Amino acid sequence: MLPKADNQINYLKINLNKMKNHIAALSLLLLSTASVAVAQEKASPLEISGSVDTYFKYDFSKVANIPTYFANEQNSVSLGMIDLALKKTTGKASFVGELSFGPRGQFQSIPDVNGGYDPATNGFNIQNLYINYAFTDKFTMTAGYMGTFVGYEVISPVANFNYSTSYLFGSGPFQNAGLKGTYSFSDKVSLMAGVFNDWNVYQDFNGVSHFGAQLMVAPVEGWSAYVNFLTGRSAGAGADGTIIDLTTSYQITDKFKLGLNAADYGLSNDGGGYSGAALYPQFAFTPSFALGARAEYINFKGAAGAPDASITSFTLSGNVKAGGLTFIPEVRFDNDKDAYAGFVKSNLAQSKSAAQFSLAAVYSF
Amino acid sequence: MKFFRLLTGLLFISSLSFAQEVSLLPKDESGKYIYYEVASTGLSEDSLKLRALNFITKNKKEIKLKSGKEANAVTATGKIVINKSLAMLSRPSGEITYTFNFEINAQKYRFWLSNFEFIPYQKDRYGNFVPSTTVGIPLEREPKKSNAEQWEDYRLQASKYAATFANRFKDHLTNKVVKPKLAPEKKVVSKSW
Repeated sequence: MLPKADNQINYLKINLNKMKNHIAALSLLLLSTASVAVAQEKASPLEISGSVDTYFKYDFSKVANIPTYFANEQNSVSLGMIDLALKKTTGKASFVGELSFGPRGQFQSIPDVNGGYDPATNGFNIQNLYINYAFTDKFTMTAGYMGTFVGYEVISPVANFNYSTSYLFGSGPFQNAGLKGTYSFSDKVSLMAGVFNDWNVYQDFNGVSHFGAQLMVAPVEGWSAYVNFLTGRSAGAGADGTIIDLTTSYQITDKFKLGLNAADYGLSNDGGGYSGAALYPQFAFTPSFALGARAEYINFKGAAGAPDASITSFTLSGNVKAGGLTFIPEVRFDNDKDAYAGFVKSNLAQSKSAAQFSLAAVYSF
Repeated sequence: MKFFRLLTGLLFISSLSFAQEVSLLPKDESGKYIYYEVASTGLSEDSLKLRALNFITKNKKEIKLKSGKEANAVTATGKIVINKSLAMLSRPSGEITYTFNFEINAQKYRFWLSNFEFIPYQKDRYGNFVPSTTVGIPLEREPKKSNAEQWEDYRLQASKYAATFANRFKDHLTNKVVKPKLAPEKKVVSKSW
């Protein structure tokens, strides 16, 4: 039997060795965890992105004449929206969830819980909410609530060159919730087809009754064209609506790009509709400064024998970029020869033309 | 004491693995950034070409074959996706495209990556990031002062990628055995004549 002091010393030595072993084991565990963490960082992380925008608009008649969907408030420093998007990819599956807040991101672009656009009613604030699965490198399927595949312009101010929107944009769908499949024959050709809810709604009250398709072709480098087709009958509608749309853009030179949007929408049973075209020439003087124009013609088809009405519009916009910030000074002139849009002068007398200036700031991150 | 030496050594090794020094790519005669390498080999020209084509096929998400018809040469185009990261969040902010050339001559081969160009990304209507233009900005272009740090980072990322790519490619050429595809067996059809 060892003396008591020796026993205590041995006890301390044994426990100190045990402690050293635990610390060594813990250190190795931490290092291996850090190594695993480094490996995991190479997998697809959660992507978060978005934008904010604000604007000032002044109509020279002192009345907000031009019915652009956004940038509609007269002589006011006004809000666009704050937009936040999340995306994650795990293997072949991915999801996108995009929320938006503010006039542009709520009642001006997405329906409220009742399917209307009442600013006093709460909405879901959802621009995109869908899941995507890539069965193969060529074939993917997507289901959920998605931004529309129709048209040249979009809701997000980041992806549009002009800040005000075209009549074609305002007349067409904003969202198409549904289920679609896309097959890429090659880098130059792909085909999408799917079934969709009524335009712009979260819930379809007459069943999923729209069919849509999109053919993408990229004949040469820098040129892409989309032919879009969407047809169906919306809940409560007395006629079928069909839209055929062409959206194309061509980077002709390093500095000059030309875009075109042409569309025709018709309701059966002489229910009206619209047709039109818009040309988008853009010239990039430097990577930080570009000028772009939009020349648009739209014809609103009269329903039940009523006469058609047409409007022409010319917009000139600048894009001045500084990092993630883009300033968009813009002037716009609309001519409404049929007095369809109800333009007025400053004394509220009827006018067949309208003009406005706007300055917007858009920050994307 | 030995224990603390061991622990210190482990921490030092781990810090070395995290600290990756990258040197900028050199420029060629035309002033373009280039990764250029010549290597000797004991493999036949056919085997080398097969393995090079196989490497491109296996890495089709980042590199695409442009031309492989010449007997001793392969050309491809590739891209490096650049991510903007903050903490554990990240999103693609752009891509750097490049051209890849591979040539075989006697018992040597050479390859080079060049024509590095940056294309910024933009979010599309579905919330995905896609190229905002088809026109790339050459990495050789001098940036504005406000963008200098970011541009230098793009150059370093391209340099790091090129070095890693080269190692992967050489390893594939050296170690990957690729069997040539056999021509289909000819059959005599005697039923119809």
